[in-house]
Amino acid sequence: MTRYLAPLLLVGLAAPLLAQDPGATVPRDDAKRGGSANIRLLAHVENNAGAWKAADIEMEQDAGRPYVYVSGFVNNNFQVYDVRNEQAPKLLLNWTIENPELHQGIGAMDGKYFKLGDRYFYVQSFQFAQGGPDSDLGAIVFDVTGLPDPAAVREVARIRYAPSPGGFHNIFAYKHSSGRVLLFTTIGGDRALVYDLGRVVAGGDPASWLVGEVPNPTPMAQLGASGYHDFYVGYDVARRRDVFYGAGLGGYSAWDVSAPEAPSQLFTITSLGMDLAHTFTPSPDGNIAVTETEYQYTPLRIWDLTEGQDGRRQNLDIPLSAWTADWRDLSHNHEVRWPFVFVSAYEDGFFVFNLTDPKHPRTEGWYYTCQCTHEHGFGGGPNVGWESTTSVMQGGFGVDVRNRDGLIVLSDMRTGLWLFRMDGFSGWNGASVGMPNISSVQDYDRGPAPSSR
Amino acid sequence: MIRPAPWLLGVGLVLAGPATVAGQGPGTPWEMPLRAGPAAPAARGEARLQFAPSPFGVAVTADGRHRYDVRITAENLPDPATLGPYRVLLAWETPRDLSTWHRLGVVRNGTSLVGTADHNKFLLVITAEPDSLVTTRSGPTVLHGMSPSGWLQQFLTHPLFRGMSQ
Repeated sequence: MTRYLAPLLLVGLAAPLLAQDPGATVPRDDAKRGGSANIRLLAHVENNAGAWKAADIEMEQDAGRPYVYVSGFVNNNFQVYDVRNEQAPKLLLNWTIENPELHQGIGAMDGKYFKLGDRYFYVQSFQFAQGGPDSDLGAIVFDVTGLPDPAAVREVARIRYAPSPGGFHNIFAYKHSSGRVLLFTTIGGDRALVYDLGRVVAGGDPASWLVGEVPNPTPMAQLGASGYHDFYVGYDVARRRDVFYGAGLGGYSAWDVSAPEAPSQLFTITSLGMDLAHTFTPSPDGNIAVTETEYQYTPLRIWDLTEGQDGRRQNLDIPLSAWTADWRDLSHNHEVRWPFVFVSAYEDGFFVFNLTDPKHPRTEGWYYTCQCTHEHGFGGGPNVGWESTTSVMQGGFGVDVRNRDGLIVLSDMRTGLWLFRMDGFSGWNGASVGMPNISSVQDYDRGPAPSSR
Repeated sequence: MIRPAPWLLGVGLVLAGPATVAGQGPGTPWEMPLRAGPAAPAARGEARLQFAPSPFGVAVTADGRHRYDVRITAENLPDPATLGPYRVLLAWETPRDLSTWHRLGVVRNGTSLVGTADHNKFLLVITAEPDSLVTTRSGPTVLHGMSPSGWLQQFLTHPLFRGMSQ
C-alpha cells in the first residue's frame, strides 16, 4: 500500500493545478506531445498502414488471457495483440473481410469479447454501406478460445439484419442477471437490437437469435427519427434490475431490461444541446452518469440520475457539471472506474478525470496520442481520403481498462494502439471504493447480481 | 453550426457524391468513377454506361432491366505481369452481394469498350487475370466502381448530411 502513497500524494498536490479552469491557457495544437508525469507510456504500435488506423478497442480481463482487440475501421480488419509483454505487444492475428476493397463504408467499428461456459468469443461489428457487399452484415462472431494460436481462431456466425442496411456501429456484450449473455447492437433504425449470444453461437435459425428490441424515445429532433448511437448496460444492485443506458442522438434514455423481450422505460435526459447524443455511461451504482454529445466544443456532461432511477422524474434536463480535455476539441468515448473516468479524447488523446466530487470534476492525467493537425479529422469519403477540413474527429477513439491490474489500452484513429499505466492505479474493484463492483467489465462466470455470485 | 459526426447517423457514412476521375465533382447518372485497388494504387479510371445497340434506343432485357455497354477510360494501369502470374486486365460485372461474376472484356490504358452489363445495381471490377477467357475472377483488383443506380439507397440508413462535414 505504501508504494502507492507517494504518487497519490503527488497527484493530490498537483490536482488544483490541473483543474479545468475555463480561463486557463490551453496548449498549442502543435505542442500536444507527451503526457502528464503520472501517466506512463508502455508501448505504441502503428497497427495499420495509411492515414486511418483504428476505431474501437477491447481488452480481455481474465488472468492468462492477455489479449487486446483493435477494430481496424476503414481498413475492414481487426487485429489481436498479445500484451503479456506490455512494452512489446505482439500481433497474433490480422483478420480482414474478404474482398475488402469492394466493401463500402467505414468498416470494422467496435468489438467485444464474451465467454460462454469455458469458451471465449470475440464479436466484431461492421458498417458496410449500401451499394457494396455486406450492407446487411452487423457483426461476425469468432471463437478465440485457442489464442494465442491464430490458426485456432474460428468464425462461428455472421449476424445479419437486412431491414436496416448499414450494420452495427456499436455493440455491448452483457452478462444478464438471468444468466444469458446478450449482445445489444445499434442499427440505423429507431431501436436497439438484443441478441442472445448463446443462440448465435449454437447456430440454428438466425431468426431465433434476436430476442428483444429497445425503442429509442429520444430521436434527433431535426430528423424526427433515428436510432441509438451507443449504450451501456449494467446491473443496478440497489434496485435489482438490469438497466440499459442508451444515447439516442436526440437525448438519452434508461430502460429496465430485466426482461429483454419487454423493456420498460425508466427515464430520459433531454435538454438543450443534446442533439447527437453519443455515449451514456453510469457510475457503478447508477446514480451518476457521464454523457457525450458528438460535436465540437461540447464537454462531457455529468448528471445526477437518482431522481430518474427512483421514478421521481421522467426527464432530467440540468447536468451537475461538465468536463473537457480542451474546449476547442471534443472528448469521445469513456470508461468509468469510479471515481476515475478514462477518456479517449479524440485530438487530445488519452485523459483521465476524477469524479470524487461530481460537481467539480478534476483532471488526473493525460497523454497526447493523436499527433495530428487540428480540424483535419474524419469526414467525407474515400475519394478525399476520409479527411475533412473541419472535423475534430480524429485521435483517441476507444479506451479500455483491465480491472485486475489497471492496464489501460487506447485506440487512436491516427496513430493506432497505445498502452499506459497510471501511477497509483493498480486495478479496480467497486468494493474498494464503496461501490457495487459494476463496470463495463462483465463477470461471465458468475453474472452481475450479488445473489448470483 | 453543428458539425455532425459522419458515422453517427445510421450507417453514419458520409460518402461524397460520385466524383469524376479527375475529381471534378459529381458526374452524370451514366458515369462511374473508378477507384484504385491496393494492387495498383496509381491506377485511375472512369466508366461510362451507354445503352447497348437496340432498335428502340433504350436497350432492356426481356424482364425490363437496362442493358448498357460499358466504356472504360483508364490510365496508369499496371502491366498485369507485375502483379503476379497474369497476362490481361479484365472487367467484371458483379451484383452487390458478389454472388455472380460476369466477364465483360479486356481493359487497357486509354479507352476500352467492354461487354454489356444488365444488373439493376452492380459493381464494375477490373482485375488482373491469367487469360482473357477465364470464367472465374481470381486476380487482384486494379480498379473498381459502383453503378450510378447504386446511389439509390434505402432512406432509413441513407447518409444524411452528405457533404456537410467537408
